Amino acid sequence: MQDCDLHRLELCRRRAMLGAAMALAPWLIFPARAQNQANDPTSVPPQPGDRLIFLAGPKKGKPIRSDELELGGPQAQAYPADPNGTVRDGTRLNLVIAVRVGSDGLNEETRERSADGVVAYSGVCTHQACPVSMWSKDKKAMVCSCHGSTYDPKDGAEVIFGPAPQPLAALPLKSENGLLIVAGGFVGRVGRQSN
Amino acid sequence: MRKLLTGTSLGMLMIAGAVGAANGADYTPVTDARLANPEPQNWLMTRGNYQGWSYSPLDQINTSNVKNLVPVWSVSTGVDSGHEAPPIVNNGVMFVSTPYSQVLAMDAATGEFLWRYKRKLPDGFSALHNTSRGVGLYGDKVFFPTLDATLVALDAKTGKVAWEAKVADWKDGYYMTMAPLIVKGKVLVGVAGGEFGVRGFVEAFDADSGKSAWKTYTIPAPGEPGSETWEKPDTWKTGGASTWMTGNYDPATNTVYWGTGNGSPWFGDQRPGDNLYTSSTVALDGDTGKIKGHFQYHQNESWDWDAMNAPMLVDIQKNGATTPGLLTPQRNGYLYWLARNSDGSISYVNSEAYVPQNVFKSIDPKTGRPDVDLAHKPGTGKAAQFCPGLWGGKDWPYEAYNPKMNMVFIPSNENHCNNLEGKVEERIPGQWWTGVAIPDFHFSVDTKAGFFGELQAYYVDNGKRAWRDLYSNSMNWGSVLATGGDLLFAGGTNDRMFRAYDAKTGEELWHFRSNSGIIAPPSTFEVNGVQYIAVASGYGVDPAFQQTLMADLVGWNADVPQGGVVWVFAVQK
Repeated sequence: MQDCDLHRLELCRRRAMLGAAMALAPWLIFPARAQNQANDPTSVPPQPGDRLIFLAGPKKGKPIRSDELELGGPQAQAYPADPNGTVRDGTRLNLVIAVRVGSDGLNEETRERSADGVVAYSGVCTHQACPVSMWSKDKKAMVCSCHGSTYDPKDGAEVIFGPAPQPLAALPLKSENGLLIVAGGFVGRVGRQSN
Repeated sequence: MRKLLTGTSLGMLMIAGAVGAANGADYTPVTDARLANPEPQNWLMTRGNYQGWSYSPLDQINTSNVKNLVPVWSVSTGVDSGHEAPPIVNNGVMFVSTPYSQVLAMDAATGEFLWRYKRKLPDGFSALHNTSRGVGLYGDKVFFPTLDATLVALDAKTGKVAWEAKVADWKDGYYMTMAPLIVKGKVLVGVAGGEFGVRGFVEAFDADSGKSAWKTYTIPAPGEPGSETWEKPDTWKTGGASTWMTGNYDPATNTVYWGTGNGSPWFGDQRPGDNLYTSSTVALDGDTGKIKGHFQYHQNESWDWDAMNAPMLVDIQKNGATTPGLLTPQRNGYLYWLARNSDGSISYVNSEAYVPQNVFKSIDPKTGRPDVDLAHKPGTGKAAQFCPGLWGGKDWPYEAYNPKMNMVFIPSNENHCNNLEGKVEERIPGQWWTGVAIPDFHFSVDTKAGFFGELQAYYVDNGKRAWRDLYSNSMNWGSVLATGGDLLFAGGTNDRMFRAYDAKTGEELWHFRSNSGIIAPPSTFEVNGVQYIAVASGYGVDPAFQQTLMADLVGWNADVPQGGVVWVFAVQK
């Protein structure tokens, strides 16, 4: 059985579904559970066309518009939601952070994934899977709430301090009249990573 | 290194004839009587006895032969992060719990691997402190509190799950890292989550069935005694007072002593009042969990100075007479002498700072209540520096008490401070909610001090310091083991060392450089007439985070290698 609990969720689920297709009766129960979870719209990873929904703050539950984010940070935490409004908060691995960094100083890949100067990443630290909910004013960077791993939003969430072994997975965005829309699936691995 | 390797192989030869006592049918059930009077050859609970002494009477390894201590077996745990559990040993079987909620069982003499329990943690789960501080034993079961706030009972012979009981909802910020306390057929557990706005509690489960027997919150609800100390409505619901370390127990009065954590969020002006029972020791009835007494070390907690460690049960001097007492070096930097009264109430006797502290101007000699210097009390929108910093004079690592010497040995840290300023923050269930973010901790050290970590020895009767060993290039996160051989064993430093000290003089008699930094409590046991010393080495969690800060501040190497290994040592003859 695939171990889908903490990392590589999407790949893991694909393997689990492959396993279901290949397996005989005694094995079906396990992949079936994974597949049910994958079919649960609240637990599938962010999909193209999804909105990002504020997790907290005065606009909690509302879709994020780029001009609602403070220029220069901090990040906002969000969950993706499909166009019908179904919020994909069935797993914390879907936690997303969005930060309005502006258009200056972004590396090329980061600029391509940004919209209206906003970049988005997985909000789950690659060290121990804690929420990347904090902001360093000094470093202008996103900080994990457990052990302080610090990620540079302008440089593909590269690790600039702390124990995290990998950057955060990036989430490509586009803008429709200022409304932030998911333009593609996560680029990179979500959740805790080994060294 | 060559010398050590040679010693190792000789040691292996010496022990090779040992017969493992671990084979299933031989497992010796653990009883109330055994827990109340544990045999010297065993280490049946996390601190060795109900009194919480971290002491073993075993004396085969002593000051004259400890120099010949060599490793006789080791095992990789297979996981990284902070290993904080002592090897628990029952008649030749060893149980070690690890980060990521795993338990390993080995033959204690030979190291033969018996079984592993591996918790499948929920999708998206994370814990601020990804660790375990040990298992509890009773009957033929092993009791294991998991990170996702579930109590699991395992068959000691096979590692198979006998029952599981959900203790709390991890999605609300609860998690569990302490070892359980077993009292008269019940398994007592507490919860972590003081940085997430939980309401702490201690809960007891029937060891046979896993059914909840009682649950006592460490913050009173409105109308209950102490609720008047929460002056702002609803702050009690998210006020902290977590219960993240194991309690101690007095069978004579059937009283459990349990420590509680910081207030939540961290800044006391957001929850006006004394805030009982944050940063306190609570005395609970062993049968019902009813609160019989308490002592609060400081009121309206604002420094993240948890009082999580339960005090040790020792006899102390009061008004010239010997009386049942409690002794505890607290995170706030003071060593306390308290009286444990027969009705369960706790009285203040005395206290002395064991590290410099700049918050208490004085302490009331009758009540023990400190007079706080408000210039050093951080608040919302009010920055204030305080020393020692939030990791305290001593964080969770265990002090040890040697009853023959009537001395206490304290692993401590000084010359460090924090400067915090609080904010009002919206609580998101399951997320950090202290009022200050990690990048704003403003941790600082006195670089001219010459040392940071230290091991200190004090006489219990007069409170005088006997000796101390200073660590100029490391903090100290090492729990201490005291033995009848007049020795202390401790790791705790960033150089990966495991050390043996002469308990009387503080002279270092032996050391061994292990795979990683040692932040787990050592234990000792005997099988077939041979005494062993055991410890898990595996750096991580707060010591590793603090090390990264020290790398920035004073240039220490941020990379203390990680990965868990359990080491077992014996004297080479």
